[in-house]
Formats: sequence, structure tokens, C-alpha cells
Amino acid sequence: MSETVKLTIDGREIEVPKGTNILEAAKKLGDEISHFCYHPGLSIAASCRQCLVEISGNPKLQPSCQMTVTEGMKVSTANERVITARRQMLEFTLVNHPVDCPICDKAGECLLQRHYFDWDRKSSRVDMDKVHKPKKVDLGPTIVLDAERCILCSRCIRACDEVAGVHQLEFVNRGDHSELTTAPGQLLDNPYSVNTVDVCPVGALTAKDFRFAMRAWELYTTPSVCNGCATGCNVEVHHAAGQTHRLVPRPNPDVNKYWMCDEGRLTYKAAQTNRLAGATIDGLPASPEKAIAAAAARLQPLLDSERGAIGVVFSATHSNEDNWVLGRLAHEFLGLQRAYIAARAPVPERADKILRDADVNPNLKGARAVAGAFGQSGQGDLVALAADLRSGKLRGLIVLGDVVLPDDVVDAAARLSALVLVTTHQGALERAAHVALPAAAWPEMHGTITNRDGRVQRMRAAYEPAGKALPAWELLAKLARKLGATMEYPYPRAIFKEMVEKVAAFAGAEWGKEAQLVQLRFANSRG
Amino acid sequence: MQEPSKPPVPVLPGVPAQRTVVLGQRGAQDLDSDGLPTEPMKINMGPSHPAMHGTVRMVITVDGERIRDADIQLGYMHRCFEKESEYATYTQIFPYTDRLNYVSPLCNNVGFALAVEKALDITRKIPERAQYIRMIVSELSRITDHLTCLGASSMELGAFTIFLWMLKAREWLFTDLEEVTGARLTHSYVRVGGVVADLPTGWIEKVRDRLTRVEAVIDECDQTISGLRIFRDRMENVGPFTREQAIAWGWTGPALRSAGVDYDVRKDAPYLFYDRMEFDVPVGDRGDCYDRFMVRMIEMRQSIKIVRQCFDQMKPGDVIVDDGRIALPPKNEVYNSIEGMINHFKIIMDGIRVPPGETYSYSEGGNGELGFFIVADGSGRPYKLHCRAPCFYVLQTAGAQIKNALISDIVPVFGMANYIAGECER
Amino acid sequence: MSQKILDRLLEKFPDAVLSTSNFRGDEVAIVKRERALDVLRFLKDDAECLLDMARTVTAIDWLGRDGDRFEMVYQLYSITRKHGVRIKVPVPEDDPTIDTCTTLWPGMNWAEREAWDMYGIKFRGHPDLRRMFMYEEFVGHPLRKDYPKEKRQPLIRREGMV
Repeated sequence: MSETVKLTIDGREIEVPKGTNILEAAKKLGDEISHFCYHPGLSIAASCRQCLVEISGNPKLQPSCQMTVTEGMKVSTANERVITARRQMLEFTLVNHPVDCPICDKAGECLLQRHYFDWDRKSSRVDMDKVHKPKKVDLGPTIVLDAERCILCSRCIRACDEVAGVHQLEFVNRGDHSELTTAPGQLLDNPYSVNTVDVCPVGALTAKDFRFAMRAWELYTTPSVCNGCATGCNVEVHHAAGQTHRLVPRPNPDVNKYWMCDEGRLTYKAAQTNRLAGATIDGLPASPEKAIAAAAARLQPLLDSERGAIGVVFSATHSNEDNWVLGRLAHEFLGLQRAYIAARAPVPERADKILRDADVNPNLKGARAVAGAFGQSGQGDLVALAADLRSGKLRGLIVLGDVVLPDDVVDAAARLSALVLVTTHQGALERAAHVALPAAAWPEMHGTITNRDGRVQRMRAAYEPAGKALPAWELLAKLARKLGATMEYPYPRAIFKEMVEKVAAFAGAEWGKEAQLVQLRFANSRG
Repeated sequence: MQEPSKPPVPVLPGVPAQRTVVLGQRGAQDLDSDGLPTEPMKINMGPSHPAMHGTVRMVITVDGERIRDADIQLGYMHRCFEKESEYATYTQIFPYTDRLNYVSPLCNNVGFALAVEKALDITRKIPERAQYIRMIVSELSRITDHLTCLGASSMELGAFTIFLWMLKAREWLFTDLEEVTGARLTHSYVRVGGVVADLPTGWIEKVRDRLTRVEAVIDECDQTISGLRIFRDRMENVGPFTREQAIAWGWTGPALRSAGVDYDVRKDAPYLFYDRMEFDVPVGDRGDCYDRFMVRMIEMRQSIKIVRQCFDQMKPGDVIVDDGRIALPPKNEVYNSIEGMINHFKIIMDGIRVPPGETYSYSEGGNGELGFFIVADGSGRPYKLHCRAPCFYVLQTAGAQIKNALISDIVPVFGMANYIAGECER
Repeated sequence: MSQKILDRLLEKFPDAVLSTSNFRGDEVAIVKRERALDVLRFLKDDAECLLDMARTVTAIDWLGRDGDRFEMVYQLYSITRKHGVRIKVPVPEDDPTIDTCTTLWPGMNWAEREAWDMYGIKFRGHPDLRRMFMYEEFVGHPLRKDYPKEKRQPLIRREGMV
């Protein structure tokens, strides 16, 4: 018995795995059948009836999301009967829909707009007052509901039930007074609540963080990876004019399917606030070139006399490439021996079986792999670094990343002969440093990070770094050249190629294709 | 170049007999370098120069009054039209096209609209009245283009009166076009599928009357300047090009026609309803500046003829195609129903979606064949938009035309190339 | 546009022509880069084709697509025969060079300079391959898809005090 089924859709034959529904089969042919309640990551409701198609042999039209393919099936998705059915469903859906497009968040990425424009474009035959429902319902800490816009597809209810695992939303009342509301005694406060905004085909559910913040058609999208925790959910960075406005999940069946957690969505804020935009020497602004020269000058006497007392700190929040170049500089060229890995403390309450991980570092595994490739298997962590600083074992430190240390440790670090920081954010350690170099944050650079399963995933730069910042690897390579090493990388892919050959854990990883800058309204990826 | 007869050689008193000095005559010999050191001088003309319309820099190497070498450097008005178009919807590109050949903006509008319609394959569905209106405004724009070209060139050659007369006529036409489109120059009147709005009531009668006056102005200017000895001396045999040279160098429009090639897109590949129009295509024989001047002069009269025929043949009707994916719905539906709102919204925000494919569409602009090469990717904006600017190819040869000519020949050559910086540099 | 030209082309250069098509009435032939100049010369000189005028020469940047990154586009026309064709030639990213066609149509001198300026495609044998619109100190090729639209390269820079 074969595992595939052959069927004909609109006269074109296709072979699909057994158990596929007709809608997915048509998608493989490039035909998008209009639908509202169907979502590939959720259970089937077949309630909206927008996806009706004609199956020969069947007198009534059938919902293509629910019907699984059978051998020899003949399906018509665009004949007159089907298109009339589509139009009629849209007419019903639009009868009570408020004329909200100019003020609705979803405008530009709304499925209702898209389907009406593609399939209907006819005027309404109903000329009566529309049913009114509450328009600004606070459903919980993250979501605002506009009940009039809701088309009752139930995607959000299923998303809460199936993704978050809690029942927090349901429909009440009947007929055209049906309304979405929270389950009795509940708020919409699960940690995956904003996924309901992604699945909502219209602008009924809006995220408080993005409500009225930006128009969707002005956003550009760049594929990247969330830097919130070790899960590494694939995201799309939605940005305009050098600022990120939101993160949305990008489908990846192996990592995050179609979802991401609410905290991860907000990580873009951290990448944009309190940034170190220019280099500093002893706390005063300087040009990056001068700062690198000053750093080299500070390190040189230590390298001549007390090389063993210089420490290097890898970062579990920076990309593999940044760590690799640091490793080459520190171990290959300078021969430093004391290595630490700076990682944020784990948050065990976060860990659930859904997506969130207790390890809130995006690249701990990667940093460990890179440091290990240089023979630094006994790396200490921040606790060990604090101890060494307090005890005075260190005379110099090269730090990658935004490291947070207790105040007395920062004071001890300030007393070092050479404290060189390559960091993205301002902070106590940065103010104490002799030289601080501004690094690019994760939405601004091309690089890879390794998630908790050892999967190496590619981040892409959405826009140029803020101020005078450069990718950390570039700053470290410049520092290396100033110290006399030969280190030249014309572009980040060169580092990746070199790294993959030397680090066993990254074998088989791929850099991936470059992505053209896509304006959201032309991406057709949402709505 | 004709070889003029040898001028008489005056001998100045006190000057030794073997030294001959001849001043200021065409074809005169340069100063004898017997004992007097000379070297060619590199002079910079532009980019800001009263005799150049538009911003163009020329670095010319002169030997006395003769130009030995000329390097034309463009780029001062490059405004990234093609790059910007990749980020704008097709309707948003219309204001950009206005600013290409900015003295005949409607020709650009129409050319671009035809290109998008060819890509959408709706050329046959455009309503008749819309096509006639497009022809009328195209031809009026062509007249303004030629009036500007001839007027400005005449001024630079010293005939300031012609400039004033022609600009007066041009201003009348701009006023009429302003009544239709809302702006003197930056019309953006044409849309994919038709035009924005119908002609105002009474406009046709007004313009009929106006065209009679414009014709009178053209005749007056023609009589005044075309036979003028000084004018002909400065324009004839300046920058002549043969048929083969003109074709090889990619010339089109009045410049190509002045060289004897009767290529006019309106006749050879008719678009809109030019095949229903009766008009002549003037053709020169020497390809020099004078021929280009006269070709334009005659073309203006032909354009007036075309407009009059359009007025006679037009009938009432729609002015934009009846397709919900292309034309905006009426405003009362937009504001009062969700259906109209969504329709309007999607057309504006997503743009008019053009199926993937590449098309090259061309029309007769004021300067020649104005082509648009559109690479569409299925979305509402072009993947690539290339504009084939007619004066780009004519300007290329300006350097060759002024080589071994006098500095004063630069003026007619540049004038008759009708270098419109907006179009040339996009 | 004429099917006759494509037929002649396939007859004479069966190995050089990668594909032909007709879209919205435009005939197109995609030709291998190594034979491109021969094909163009044939199209110009052949008595039946006689494509004596090149309308325009431009390039397309297909960044992210499989295959060669650039594609040269030659839009050709015959004044005498009143027919035309579009010839496209794929050009790879790591070796963006192609023979110049100015030996056949001198009018494409500036158009090729523009393609060099905007896309970075070098034309072998071009008499004067300089930038057309951008100033000489400009770095990069603006119409390439990976050149950001907002990027500024002012010649006069105001550096800070540091």
C-alpha cells in the first residue's frame, strides 16, 4: 500500500502523502484556497465554510480543509459554483463587519481584506444597521479585543487550548450576536497569548505592544532567530527606518512550529534601548579607530609581562562568529589561558514543555562549543570570574557581551590594568572599562547561534547597526590586526566557513541564502 | 561641413608682412603659432551654466575657438527613479514619471500607463473615451515640449522674442492642462486603466479656440525665425548626421527624423487610436540642427491637427476600465460600506498586482521613443523598471557633433538635442 | 516583435540559445554569454533580421534566485524590417563581465556605462567604461538588490570632534 495518493485538482494531477487535506494539496500546486478557520498548526474546525470546493461525485460542496484526499479524487477549486459559494460566504461575513480599515491594526495583513479583494469585489445587498458589540475589551495583560471585527473563526480559542494548553477563550451568545470572551473566571494571561493575534485573520485581537504603533505596510521583514532563550524560535523581524517594531514567529516544523512565547516577542526592545552607540576611552567618547588603538596600547604591556593574568570572556548572548573571532584572537594569537563564559542565570520557572526554556541565553551551547574548540574545556562561568576578580588573580580582561556583575566585582574590574569591552549596551562594567567598543545587536548582524538541541540557526541583519557600532567580530578582528595578528574577514560567511571546519559540533551547519529586503505588504506572508 | 570661401585678409598697420591675422570668421585659420606659444585649454562648462538647459557638465578642450575634445558628464539630476520605483506601487510611480521629461509630462504618464496595461494584458479593455483623452493630453504635452525646446534654443541664439512668444503659447496650454489635471506641470493625470477624471465641461470648446491662437503663434514664430540669415547660419550644417549614423547611435524622434528616417512610433506601432488619425510625419535630410528645428516646428502643427480630430471623434463614456482590481471604487461606497473600503484599501496599499513577466512598451515621447521595460513579480510594485530615455542617446553624440566646431556651435547642438535632464538621467 | 527572428536564431545558433519565449507579444531569446556577441552580430547583419537599432541595453539583478545573478537585456529593433526581439544573457555574480556591443551599435556606449555604474557589470572592450551618473568616488553599485535604498555616501562628511 503506497503512502501517497494521486488526485486531480483543476485538471492538474498531483501526488501527496496520505492524510493530506485538499487545501494543503492545492497549496502544493500553488493554489491558495481562501480560508479563515483553518490553520496548519491547529485542529480542524471547518466552521467558516470559506474553503468549500467541488468534488466530483459529491452533490454538495465540501470544506477542503477537512476532506482528506482519496485516490483518483477530482477537485474543482475555481469553477463558477465554487466562486459563487466563496462570494456568498464573504458577503455573510462582511454583513456585520465594521468599516474599520483605516483604524484597524491588521489593515494590510488582513485575510478578510485579501479574500474579498481576490474573490469577491461585489457590493453588499444588505443595507441595514450593523450589529454592535464591545469595541475595546481588555482581555488580559497583552491583548485587546474588538468584538465587532471578530468573524468567529475560533482560531484563537483553539490556539489557547492547543498551544498554551489552557482554556481561556470561548464564544458566548448565538447567531449574529455571537461574541468572543474569556472563559468564566479567566483572563487571557498565558505566556503564549500573543500567538492568538498572529492567528486571528482580522483585527479583532490586537497586541497591546503593537496596537496603533505602526502600519503593517510600512514594515520590512527580515528572517532571523529569537535571542530570548536557548530554544531559538525562528522569527521575522518587522522593522522600518532602522527600528524594529515587532517580532513574529516564522514557521519551522523542527523548532517552533508556528509559535513563539510572549517574552520572546518583546526581546526586540532590549536590543534597541540603552545601546552603546560610540566607542569610549576611559569613559569619554572616542572614535572607534582611536579606541581600538588605545585598547591595543593598554593590552600590549600586559601581554609582554603577565600574559597568564589576562582573562577572556566569551558570551552566551553573542553569535558563534563573534565568539569564534574572540577565540582566535585570545587563544590562537595571544595564547591567553584564562577563559570564562558569561551567561545569564537560568530561570527554572520558565521551563515548560511547549517552547520556553530555563536557559535564557540564546547561544550558550555555541559559546561552549567554540571555546571548547580552542582547548578551553575548563571554562569558568561568571561566578568563577567574580571570584578571580575579587581575589586579584587577573590583571587584564577582554570581555565580549553585555555582562552584568555585582557592584564590588565591577569595582575590582575597574582596578585592572586593562579592561577592554566589546559590548552592545551601556552598563556599569562599560562605564568602568578602559576601552568600550560598540557592538552590533542581534537584529543588526549576520551570524549563527546554536540552540539547546545543537541546531545552528542563521540570523540576518535587518538594518545597519546603531550609531558607530559594528559587528563584534569586525571590532575584534580590527583589534587583532592592531596587536599584530593577521585576521581578515571580508564578510561574515568567511568566518562561518572557517568555523564550521574547526568546530565538530557545527558539522553540517549551513549559512543559508541571503534574503532580499521585503516590504511586508508585498511579502504576502501574512493576511 | 561646408567649406566657406576664403575671406579677405586685412593687413594691420605696423604689423610685419609675413604675419597674417584673421579675426572672427567661420572657417578662419587659427593664430599662426610662429613665435607665439599656444596650447589647448581645458574649459569647464557647467553644471550650472546659463546656456545649458538642465544641469550638465562639459569639459571641453579648446584650441582658440575650436573644440578639440568634449567630455559630457551627467549625473547632476540623477534622482534614482529606477531604484525608487522598485519600492513604490505602480500608481505611486506616476508622479515620478511626471518628472522624467518634465516639459511633456503627460507623454511620460501615458507611456508608463501603457506599459503597465501591456503587462496586465488589458490594453483592449481601456474605454475609448479614456484613449482619446490620453491622445489629446499627450499631443498637447508634445506641443509644450516643442515650444519649450524651440523657444529656449532661440533665446540662446539671441532671438529672445521667439522665446517670449512661444512661452506665451505654452502658458496657455499649461493653463488648459491645469484645468483638466490640477497642476501646470506635475500632472499625474493618467492611471493604469484610464485617466483620473473626465474633461471639464466646456473645456473642448475652450481648447479649440486656444489651438487656433497657438497655431497663429507658431506661424508667427516660423515666419520670423526660420528664414533668418543669422539663425540659419548658426544652425545649418551644425552637427549633421547621416541616416546610418543616426540609426546606429540609437537616435529616435525628431533627431532621427531630421536625418531622413521616417520612424515615428505613432505610425509604425500605433498605440491608443493613432491609427485612426490622419497626420504627417516631417522628415529632414541633413540631420543637422536646422532640420531638427524645422521638424519640431512642423510636428507642432501636426499635433494640433491630431487634437482637433480627437475632439471630432470622441464620444461620451467611461474614463477608466471597469475592473475592481485596477480602478478605485466610487467614494460613497468607500466611505459607507466595508466592501468599498476593502476594495479601495487593497488597491492603494497593495498596489495593482501585475502577473510575473517582463514587457517592453514604447510610445512617442516629445524627444523620441520613450520605452518602459517592466519586470513584474506578481506583487503590486515592479521588480525592476527601466526607462529608455530618448534624449540619452541623442546627447551621447553631442560630443561628436561639437568636435572641431566652434564654441558657439555648442548652443544649437545642445538646444536641438533637447536635453531634458529629468529624462536623460532619471 | 517577430517570431521569424527567433526561428532564424534557433536555426543558426542551436547550441547558443538557451530558451525562447513570447510574452504579451514580445519575443525573447535567452542566449549563452560566450556566444552572445556572435548572436548579436548575426542579428544585426543577417539580411532577414537586420536589427540595425538597439533600443536599449540594461541588466536585471536576480539576487536570491538559483542560477546566474545578473541578466543582460538587449532590446533590439529593425528600422527597415519593422520587427524586434529581446535578447537576454545570464551573467554570473563572481565574474560579471560580458563583451561590449558598442562595436555593433555605437549608441549603446552610454547605456553600457550606465549598466556598469548601476549593476557593476564590466563590458570587455568598451572604449570608455566610466561611471555614468554617480561620482567617481562612489562605492558600490546602487541598482543591485543588496544596496540599501537609504544608504548615503556624502562626499562632504561632517566628522565629530573625536
